[in-house]
Amino acid sequence: MLPQLCAAEWLKLWRRPLAWVLLGIFLGLLTLYLTLWFLVVALHVGAFTGGNERIAILADAQIAELRNQLTFPGIFGAVLGQFNSIGGLLAIILAAGALGSDYSWGTLRSLLIRAPDRGAFLLAKTLAVLLALTVGLLVALALGAGLALIFTAVLGGGSGMGWRDLLALPLGLLRALYIVLPYILATLACTAYGRSVLAGVGGGLLFLAVDIGAGSLNALAGVHPLLRTMTNLLLQPNINTLVVQNSQLFGLDQVVLLSGLDLSQLPPWPQAVLVIGLYSALFYFSAWRMIKRRDIGGAG
Amino acid sequence: MMSTPAISTEQLTKRYGTRTVVDALNLEVAQGEVFGLLGPNGAGKTTTIAMLLGLVQPTAGRASVLGHDVWTTPAAALRRVGAMIEAPAFYPYLSGRINLRILAQAGGVDPKRIDPLLETVDLTARADDRVRTYSQGMKQRLAIAAALLPDPALVILDEPTNGLDPAGTVEVRNLIRTLAADGRTILLCSHMLHEVEQLCARVAILKAGRLIRMGGVAELLRRTQGVRLRIVSDPAAAAALLANFAGVRGVQRQDDILLVDAPVEQAAALNSHLTQHGVAVAELGVQSSDLETFFLDVTSNEA
Repeated sequence: MLPQLCAAEWLKLWRRPLAWVLLGIFLGLLTLYLTLWFLVVALHVGAFTGGNERIAILADAQIAELRNQLTFPGIFGAVLGQFNSIGGLLAIILAAGALGSDYSWGTLRSLLIRAPDRGAFLLAKTLAVLLALTVGLLVALALGAGLALIFTAVLGGGSGMGWRDLLALPLGLLRALYIVLPYILATLACTAYGRSVLAGVGGGLLFLAVDIGAGSLNALAGVHPLLRTMTNLLLQPNINTLVVQNSQLFGLDQVVLLSGLDLSQLPPWPQAVLVIGLYSALFYFSAWRMIKRRDIGGAG
Repeated sequence: MMSTPAISTEQLTKRYGTRTVVDALNLEVAQGEVFGLLGPNGAGKTTTIAMLLGLVQPTAGRASVLGHDVWTTPAAALRRVGAMIEAPAFYPYLSGRINLRILAQAGGVDPKRIDPLLETVDLTARADDRVRTYSQGMKQRLAIAAALLPDPALVILDEPTNGLDPAGTVEVRNLIRTLAADGRTILLCSHMLHEVEQLCARVAILKAGRLIRMGGVAELLRRTQGVRLRIVSDPAAAAALLANFAGVRGVQRQDDILLVDAPVEQAAALNSHLTQHGVAVAELGVQSSDLETFFLDVTSNEA
């Protein structure tokens, strides 16, 4: 039953204009972001003037780091990083739309009459959203690779692609999906609670904002080991650990661009995996409980 | 040996806070029966149906469909149940055909059933158009096709002719007859009481969540039949005479017409009684009512 439900959920997402619009927005913003970086580097090295005129707005070390992000293999780290920032916002909208529309259009009734296992329904929905994000991420990586070819031709540099980098891609991709998982599941829980797209988008974005805000408490980590332990139980520091790991996987160094980032205060990766997993399990359980127990329709 | 009822509820109850929407409902619908579930708005019909379909959890009591408890074994109970409940609900950005494909995939139904069903509901020509371009009647017909996807033994139809033009209404009525002739059980919920009277063998009437009448349509209507008399002289005296006659439950007077609430078999005896007391009767007949009149009567009178 689960594979059939997954196929049905995938068909709905694949054919849904919202999913393509969100992908278009992400690819557009990614292109804009990378192109702006490219212009900053190109102006710095005088790529358009044969090196005669240069506009230096960043330090050389920062420019070198940006150049790494625009060429192979660093471009993959840059794309994955963008997926975990702006892509996360769009993933929240996608997840809320995927479940919330079934409430607002009344199609949840029809589906649950045909396939009454509500747990399987939620699992299929979650897997379909993750699959859609995977496809979107693969397209973004392909776009990034195409842009990197152009940027490398203009700027030069980059260490090129090796087998090691290609083999690292699946790990980076899985890690990027794992990073957005708690936000998607929190969104699904909010959608099920409010039975609407709006509740899902609102709840998901609110959670994201609160989480980022709470993440700033990480600044207290250096004050006392106990405070460090406590703040490292928040979601954001653990997310940061995996984001940094993903960029390091492709030879990038976040600290060069984000001088305030203190890697020594971040939790170790096993803890990050565990904490993110626990948050995800909690949100999934909330969504499951909400969908399983609440009435669909009726006079209530 | 008695066969398992298609629908059986025992003390089925749904409360939202202090508000009781369905109150200890006991219902039994035999397999192959066309059964009407009637009631004014807010009577609890849709909630009852939602409980029968596992969408709403009962507060108390139980509901079983095709021999399986709906809440504890929903997959087994609903495997051969087709339903359209409340307004037709589809993905507006998808075509009618893809909408049916999604439901077929979700329910493990052979997608080969889709084309013949689209033909049955006369939607083949528009099957590949997006549902958002459909008229209300087309959505209604698509919802009927969706209900028939699993080759159902039990079909639950909530206002199936809502939004249909007269020709569409007749088509749906004929379709329901065909489904019934195939031996399928049909639970029909409709405000079109003329339609229910034509299609259903038995009906249940709900009011404020409580079952107030249940029985065969013919039997219920026969109970409401009475004797109609036109009196030549002194109808007031005639009414007084009949009011005390054995078997008479009531007498209503409208000018020279008396409507006597009594078994129609007593018509001759009533006439004889009046004649013996010097009251001349100009006309004698049976006062019959249709389901609509009966429905309005019981739903307005019952507490």
